[in-house]
Amino acid sequence: MVKAYINGTGCISAQNTIDESWFFETVAPPSVDYYNAIEPSYKEYIAPNLLRRMGRAIKMGVTTASIAIKNAGVTNVDAIITGTGLGCFEDSERFLLALLNNDEQFLTPTSFIQSTHNTVGSQIALIMKCHNYNFTYVHRGFSFESCLQDAMMLFNEGKESILIGGIEEHTPNYVNLYRRAKKFQEQNTAVPYWKSETSGTQMGEGAAFFVLNKHQTEKSVACVEGIQTLYKPKTTEDILDKLTAFLKMYSLTLADIDVTLMGFSLDVNFDKKLQELLPTIEKESCPAYFKHLSGEYHTASAFALWLATQLIEKQNLPKAISISQKAPTAIKHVLIINQYLGINYSFMLVAKV
Amino acid sequence: MSQRIYITGIGMISAIGNNVSESFLSLSQSKTGIGKINYLTTRYKDEFLVGEVKLSNADLMDLVKDNSPDLNRNSYLAMLAAKEAVINSGIDTKDGLRTGVISSTTVAGMSKTEMFYKEMFEKDDHLNVLDTHDCGDSTERIADYIGNVDYVTTISTACSSAANAVMLGSRMIKNGLLDRAIVGGVDALSKFTFNGFNTLMILDKEWCKPFDENRKGLNLGEGAAFLVIEGEDALRKRNGKALAEVIGYANANDAYHQTASSPEGYGATLAITQALEMCGLTTRDIDYINMHGTGTPNNDLSESIATKTVFGNHIPKFSSTKAFTGHTLAAAASIEAVISTLSLQHQLIFPNLNFTTPIAETNLVPVTELLQTPINTILSNSFGFGGNCSSLIFKKI
Amino acid sequence: MDALIEKLKGQIIEQLNLAEVKPEEINPDSPLFGDGLGLDSIDALELIVLLEKHYGIKIEDPKDGKTIFQSLRTMAEYIKANGKS
Repeated sequence: MVKAYINGTGCISAQNTIDESWFFETVAPPSVDYYNAIEPSYKEYIAPNLLRRMGRAIKMGVTTASIAIKNAGVTNVDAIITGTGLGCFEDSERFLLALLNNDEQFLTPTSFIQSTHNTVGSQIALIMKCHNYNFTYVHRGFSFESCLQDAMMLFNEGKESILIGGIEEHTPNYVNLYRRAKKFQEQNTAVPYWKSETSGTQMGEGAAFFVLNKHQTEKSVACVEGIQTLYKPKTTEDILDKLTAFLKMYSLTLADIDVTLMGFSLDVNFDKKLQELLPTIEKESCPAYFKHLSGEYHTASAFALWLATQLIEKQNLPKAISISQKAPTAIKHVLIINQYLGINYSFMLVAKV
Repeated sequence: MSQRIYITGIGMISAIGNNVSESFLSLSQSKTGIGKINYLTTRYKDEFLVGEVKLSNADLMDLVKDNSPDLNRNSYLAMLAAKEAVINSGIDTKDGLRTGVISSTTVAGMSKTEMFYKEMFEKDDHLNVLDTHDCGDSTERIADYIGNVDYVTTISTACSSAANAVMLGSRMIKNGLLDRAIVGGVDALSKFTFNGFNTLMILDKEWCKPFDENRKGLNLGEGAAFLVIEGEDALRKRNGKALAEVIGYANANDAYHQTASSPEGYGATLAITQALEMCGLTTRDIDYINMHGTGTPNNDLSESIATKTVFGNHIPKFSSTKAFTGHTLAAAASIEAVISTLSLQHQLIFPNLNFTTPIAETNLVPVTELLQTPINTILSNSFGFGGNCSSLIFKKI
Repeated sequence: MDALIEKLKGQIIEQLNLAEVKPEEINPDSPLFGDGLGLDSIDALELIVLLEKHYGIKIEDPKDGKTIFQSLRTMAEYIKANGKS
């Protein structure tokens, strides 16, 4: 079966992951009920004539893509595949407000052009002069998963080297409206994140890119063995059945999974099935959580994949993300079980190389 | 990997009809759907022409038979076209085979968001509109409307989106991840897109004239089209009937400019050439090209040059059908895939309306009258912002 | 004319978000596009809106921008000849 070797990564998140040596030395808390990404000075990564038009999503995407490419030591790739739930929201909002406020007059094209969801993917193609396969997925909590699945199909079809990434940004207005729609909450610190009994998540943002290769090279830090999405599973048993069948495809059981990164989002309505699944996971594996680092967003699973790669490289499961007292003796397999709005579930199986 | 991919159902709603048979009638009678703005609220109502679906949101709600307040125009259009395709194919999603819904859209719920966005800052009444603003919403509506869907995803690669949905669906079946897929795209007209294209100064205030020397720009349209595609195994299992075959596809990037096509149409040339290579066809095997042909000075020249580069002196018969439907953005490629399927079924080439003078640089002349002629294979092009270029090749059964 | 050119410098920097460019660095006679300031076709569309918004000049055909936007000076001359302010 085809594997996707991770040869380079780049990550901007609510943690200081833009510093590539970051590994839990500092852990940034949310800004009350949401997270802001820690962003670099983009001038170091992007030419000024390009930078002047870019919204934050594009800057975060292009920057993390360039870091991943540099780390992988490649100059071009066979495909560029990006995932984003809301795309370049800042530019969409700018154009929308301009047209509403000025009664459709004196509008300029830049924010409209930059607002299309494929802007990050196409900007990367422009900068790299990459004429190859270029795709953008925009499906909620499957946006990044679809990228990964597509990449694995492309490897099956003979491609060698692929850049994938997930990007999300929020704006002050967006945060404000979502807060008023009661979609956020401040954490009750008396209740563990994964046992939440109340509604509301904590929105996050960020970008994570990966250069994947069909074959293992000296750059390979980990590999993705499998990816599967589940749309609206009816019961927790459904998820467990699908998970067991998924692992079986790789001749594994839950007992082989050293760390399971679970996508608890702090909203009990969305987390319910994962909460029910937790005892089973705890029995066989070491459960961990990650959205208290990244915040919740459509492509938070890209952050999870980046984190899984870090855990494997460092062979360390930090207390800051560990759910139980158990510690793995070695980290050979990391399983990511993510959920978005309790509708989009996904499994990603990551292994040491 | 060698499974053949068949189109077994088609559904479509656009300016030229609310379903496939109405659309076929308009196409056969050279009747455009582009006209004065009737439903879109804009200060430019009397200045521009667009290809609107001739139904209000209330009419659409009646047709969908779902009065959920969460639905928007994008979802209505998507649900209607997808359902028509499913009924047309005769598939039963409860039969245990794996069904996917792969849709595409560019502005998704914007047509509704823009109505309420300002109000949201003052009142809490319409905050839930945000829940249906994103691109994934209409896809999940389709999945739930049809029922028993195992896989969903959504693509957004500007005006080439739905071609990529056809391509992805075909690849997922060939890779053994799905048995069949409902693939296509949708975009409802919005003030947002209308004004966006207006700022680019590529809207024609009259009927668009694809491939004409005096073309001024495009007319925006709206609509949705979906195709049921099945692997040969799934089709054989249920003893279904194929309408056409998907034999080639390719995706490339022009990597030239954020919105414009390169003068030589490099990305387009790559997409067409690779699609031909994939199915082992030579340029002589293509009987008809359904062009992207938006009517903008840039696209039509660039596409004409790419066509000459690939096909040399043997240019197949070609036309753009955008003068019928308007440019429907993410839906364009699936609308044109449905039109291509109709062309193969009825052995008809639908005309390139409003053409009089060939472009001086390339001198290519499209088919301008309805033409009955043997058609075995069709190439369909779709190009978009961000350099996204995709080509599909369909074959007669 | 010189006052108009100075005013235009500020407006162009703002409209095109040329954060790295200082007004004194723009030579009124060097080309705005290509080698000079390095602007492109999207900027040309932005400048068309700038003329409409600040000077009440409506340009219907984007091709006209080519001659009007050759340099700051040609742009200022065009405004002088056609503008309302």
